[in-house]
Amino acid sequence: MIPNGSEGIGHLAARIFGDLVPKAPDAYAMSDLAMIATLLGMAAEDYDRAADVLIADETEITAIFDAARPNIADPVLKARMASALVSPPEGYRVSQLSARADAAMRVLIDLHAWVEIAQDEGLLWAVELNGRIWRFLERHTERRAYHAAF
Amino acid sequence: MTTTANTLREGLSRYLSAQWYVDTSVEAASRIPGGASRETWKCVAVVGGESRGVIVRLDPDTSLIDTDRATEYRTMEAAHRAGLPVPTPLFLEHDTQWLGRPFSVSAEVTGCQASPDGIPEAHREKLGRRKWELLGEIARLDPDQLNLGGVMASTSAATCALEQLEYWAKVIVDDEIHPNPVAHAAIRRLRRNPPPPAQKLSLVHGDYRTGNFLYTPEGEVAAIFDWEMAHLGDPLEDLAWSLDPLWHWQEPELAGRLLPHAEAVRSWQIASGLSVDPEAFAWWRVFASIKGIGIWISSSEDFHKGSSKLPILALAGWLMTDRQQQILVDYLSPHSPHRFKGAFE
Repeated sequence: MIPNGSEGIGHLAARIFGDLVPKAPDAYAMSDLAMIATLLGMAAEDYDRAADVLIADETEITAIFDAARPNIADPVLKARMASALVSPPEGYRVSQLSARADAAMRVLIDLHAWVEIAQDEGLLWAVELNGRIWRFLERHTERRAYHAAF
Repeated sequence: MTTTANTLREGLSRYLSAQWYVDTSVEAASRIPGGASRETWKCVAVVGGESRGVIVRLDPDTSLIDTDRATEYRTMEAAHRAGLPVPTPLFLEHDTQWLGRPFSVSAEVTGCQASPDGIPEAHREKLGRRKWELLGEIARLDPDQLNLGGVMASTSAATCALEQLEYWAKVIVDDEIHPNPVAHAAIRRLRRNPPPPAQKLSLVHGDYRTGNFLYTPEGEVAAIFDWEMAHLGDPLEDLAWSLDPLWHWQEPELAGRLLPHAEAVRSWQIASGLSVDPEAFAWWRVFASIKGIGIWISSSEDFHKGSSKLPILALAGWLMTDRQQQILVDYLSPHSPHRFKGAFE
């Protein structure tokens, strides 16, 4: 494994920015190299946090599904929520965690749509659950924000 | 396919000689960085001892935006005829025998730059006022007089908003690699709460922002370019897109990094003769972010699954999607502190 992978990738980005961009033969190559360095900086951020981001999402989505189930009348949606995250992950590679998070997220999107309709009907539990989903979406977005990019 | 400066010079020399009926030699060709919707080259053609700068836009193998070259070219022609500052369009060529791909040629606008980073502090306000005046002038044009029916879909003041929404919603559904719960929530919100009909149907530039016009060292707007997403629709669409927080991420108080939001809107209103209904504008600014996410995730899809590995596709797909989601959460979450204030807060 790369020692301190995130830091190592960051060093490569800095090397491109500091040493290679100024030596680029033309404006187009310079622009390409600068973009690649920025992208490497973003990859460095994701290298360190990717598993944490995906597992944090999964934990929160599980709690939302648990809170929603008693109020959801749609049996298909209820069953999808029940089965989405019930078994443990097949492995902890980021690709495996990502596929699992995607499957759960698709159920959450459908749940959110269902809750919005219930909220429009004035159901208090739906107002509360909609607020909870938005809290999750705030954290979901914040967890993914890139701080290294310009 | 890869275009090199040599193959471009050779093919373009033959093409321009045929078009101008005089021996023409293209003696310099350099690719312009930035926008990925077309491959753009700056060339110098020597005709009878006289040098002429031309800009060549080649169809991409893949790009941020899947668009028809004819829409861009014909719209630029119409804008040119209407007196707007645009690069003079010269040729639209569909035949691949010359450069291996279809392309368009326009006259170079010399002595200018486009980078938002290069705008001198002293010229920001002046450029900003002119930028939104020109957008108002685009909105004021009568689309029936522009003769663009052949390249643009017809629409109506009552239906254009939801048509645009459904177009971009489909792009998101078709191209998303990972599900985007914030974008889907925004799409549902806009479907449930459609805006009022447009005050009028207008020509919509489709990507009007700082970075898509050339300015002179004296702070004048010399040419508006990147018309490939032009269409007919609600003029508020362009206004909302031009004021999207993405374009002033580093300086949120200055619309397009040029002047205060309210000043931008005022310049647009005076030039267009139109008013801005804050509720309609609120719909269009959420739409702007949905359209943005549509563009960014389709560029990401191109980068990951397509043949092109241009870094600009990845930058748009990775970074812009992230920022556009932050903007949408700020607009829509019931708990939002609304840090992206606009012209009406």
